[in-house]
Amino acid sequence: MNPRIVVTGIGVISPIGTGLERFWSGLLAGRSGIRPITSFDTAAYRVKNGAEVPDFHAADHLADPLAAGGRASQMGAAAARMALADAGLSPSELDLDRAGVAMGTTSGEPLEVEHFDDLYVAGRLAEVGPGFLGRYPSHTIAGAVAAELSFGGENVMIPAACAAGNYAVGYAFDSLRDGRADVMLAGGADAFSRITYTGFARLGAVSPDVCRPFDKNRQGMIPGEGAAVLVLETEAVARRRGARIYAEVAGYGLACDAHHMTAAHPEGDGLARAIGRALRNAGATVDDIDYISAHGTGTPTNDKLETLALVRAFGERARTIPTSSIKSMIGHTMGAASAFESAVCALAVGTDRVPPTIGFLEPDPECDLDCVPNEARELPVRMALNNACAFAGNNASVLFRKYDS
Amino acid sequence: MSHENPVVTGLGVLSPLGAGAPRFTAGLLSGVTGFRDVTRFDTAGLGAHRGGELTDFDPAESLGAGNFRPLDRTGLLATAAARLALDDAGFPAGAPAPEIGLVLGTMFGSLKTIAEFDRRALVEGPIYAKPMDFANSVINAAAGQAAIWHRLPGANATISGGPAAGLAALVYAGDLLRRGQAEILVAGGADEMCFESFLGFDRRGELLANGADPKPFGADRRGFLHGEGAGLLVLETAAGARARGARIHAELLGSGNRFDPSRGSDAASAADAAARAMTAALAQAGLAPEAVDVVSAAANGSLRLDRAEALALGRVFGARAIHLPVVAVKAQTGEALGASGAFQAVALLAVFATGTVPGIRGLDTIEPDLPIDPENGWTRPLDARVGLVHAASMDGQHVALVIRKGTP
Repeated sequence: MNPRIVVTGIGVISPIGTGLERFWSGLLAGRSGIRPITSFDTAAYRVKNGAEVPDFHAADHLADPLAAGGRASQMGAAAARMALADAGLSPSELDLDRAGVAMGTTSGEPLEVEHFDDLYVAGRLAEVGPGFLGRYPSHTIAGAVAAELSFGGENVMIPAACAAGNYAVGYAFDSLRDGRADVMLAGGADAFSRITYTGFARLGAVSPDVCRPFDKNRQGMIPGEGAAVLVLETEAVARRRGARIYAEVAGYGLACDAHHMTAAHPEGDGLARAIGRALRNAGATVDDIDYISAHGTGTPTNDKLETLALVRAFGERARTIPTSSIKSMIGHTMGAASAFESAVCALAVGTDRVPPTIGFLEPDPECDLDCVPNEARELPVRMALNNACAFAGNNASVLFRKYDS
Repeated sequence: MSHENPVVTGLGVLSPLGAGAPRFTAGLLSGVTGFRDVTRFDTAGLGAHRGGELTDFDPAESLGAGNFRPLDRTGLLATAAARLALDDAGFPAGAPAPEIGLVLGTMFGSLKTIAEFDRRALVEGPIYAKPMDFANSVINAAAGQAAIWHRLPGANATISGGPAAGLAALVYAGDLLRRGQAEILVAGGADEMCFESFLGFDRRGELLANGADPKPFGADRRGFLHGEGAGLLVLETAAGARARGARIHAELLGSGNRFDPSRGSDAASAADAAARAMTAALAQAGLAPEAVDVVSAAANGSLRLDRAEALALGRVFGARAIHLPVVAVKAQTGEALGASGAFQAVALLAVFATGTVPGIRGLDTIEPDLPIDPENGWTRPLDARVGLVHAASMDGQHVALVIRKGTP
């Protein structure tokens, strides 16, 4: 018999604010974090907007920001600290050998490569110091989280691009079910970078104004940044210590398009199979799902193909299940995106409220879903599905169930 | 959750010792190295100039004719090694195959591609940056490219973890199989040697200069050599392997993953994390340390890591550590980063298959207080059935895996 795994803490550093309260109230109010970019000069770009975290100061959260590492590591460690506090836990009361970390990312620490490249093109490679290799590799993010909290248990970094947060939640779920850990921090972190922005701009994927998922006139995604971390533990441990439980993690599924590096499968094949595996893993059926957190990037193709995948997985019911994209508000936070969306799903089943898709003006017959346009909604949410699709055809779906003791 | 252990049914190795698992095994046992002067980039101005470079890597050898342009070197290494592993497991190219997935460990993944993409945008302007390069700039590009090339629609994942990534990927793949998230997975690791990674290690003063070879556990060790390559294994459920009559190389018995909160800066804390990972692996395997016949070590000649690992072996194996057969492949391949964990696992399969344990090359002196048997300097017969692999990043991740020879 598998133990039930529950979410007991959430920490976020987001483009619409730091901390769970500002994040969740901002989402329900339909607040946007999309603004002109300030971290680098966009004069040479036709698009100018991003979703940067405007107010992150590592020293507000971490004892030694420099030791933590690059910006993604710092945001990840800060979000982890907040999540653990939200769960009412402190490292001193944990068996640290059984306290683990699973994190996801798209780019790791791209600002470190940018710095290297700045020196390279300036002919100043002699100035590259030991810190480049100490800070660049993406596994340093999971390392920073664990070191910040003295966690000595499992430590895994899953750079599965824009589905990475869901992979991390799935990993942590299995670690706890298998009894390999008592508590797991699972999440994702990514730092805003000119590399990522340039790449999406060159693919023609970036919107010149805002992000309007599922709208007929949507013009693209908005790159963002941030970190989100969830505290997962077994139901037995959480109840013994009287923890507040947001939701139960019910299951997850992974599948690969094996089709194209940057374009989703034309019939939504991989995502539909990931959803099917998640439902089987959770012992659930399509009729149990009351809310879907869409991948919903706002690009013309993603939203159309995601609709096809949902219809493939859910049949006609896909048209009526409330399905929103918070990327309309916080942009596409890359490896952190599905971690933020996991937090949203946990809160949706915990509070029976779901965030809207903002900026929605005109329905698209090719995206004929109920995308919760512009206004948050109250509805009973028994189960929520979190979908994530990534470059390299990596699809991951996670299911959250209302916790019922 | 399945109570049967996952099994290994295919091996694909591209190492500085040559292409294919047989050449890797032969190279290990003959005591040669894969070190030569680096040719892929100019090392002028750097301290180190040698490494374990795959000078003769030709993707067409295993993949046949094809358009390799969309793949970068890491992607090609992973894709070619996957082909070798799938062939060895009895899934030939072009034949209908079940829903196979892929889990790849890597330290840097796309570092070279991402750096070149960025520099082109810097020098010529962002509108000249190449979209095809951006597709490969994500760290999971190599895993995705391999899945596209071989049409692998099952779970596809990438694990980073420095030189522990490849072993962590094997462990993760085993867990996905136990949990029914996949039925067959190609798993292991890959990394290329590129200017950026080479310079990065050089600036940390960790690479050997002056033509020296690495001396794992040696009293006079000074550092390691940068290697590259790919090692992928086909893992599947025991029931699936039996049903299709597959030859079973080995069985995964148990694993452990632990973190050193000092991030490698404190030798005692690093040794503690390594020992905790090994102990967890043995516990999951349901075995006492006495059951382990041979260890495949992460030691690469670096001052801190080798010491931490040896001290951990002393803690886990007690008085027996000084008599324990230990293999250290990085003395011959260099530090192949993401590929290292797979190389280490395949080295154990080589011991199982040949009844011979390759000596640790260059083990003429041992750091005095490390519990390492000097006999490990010699290639010698060994009837081994159970082995332990330990892999570690330079900065905290420790992974251990216990494997057993043959069929369950």
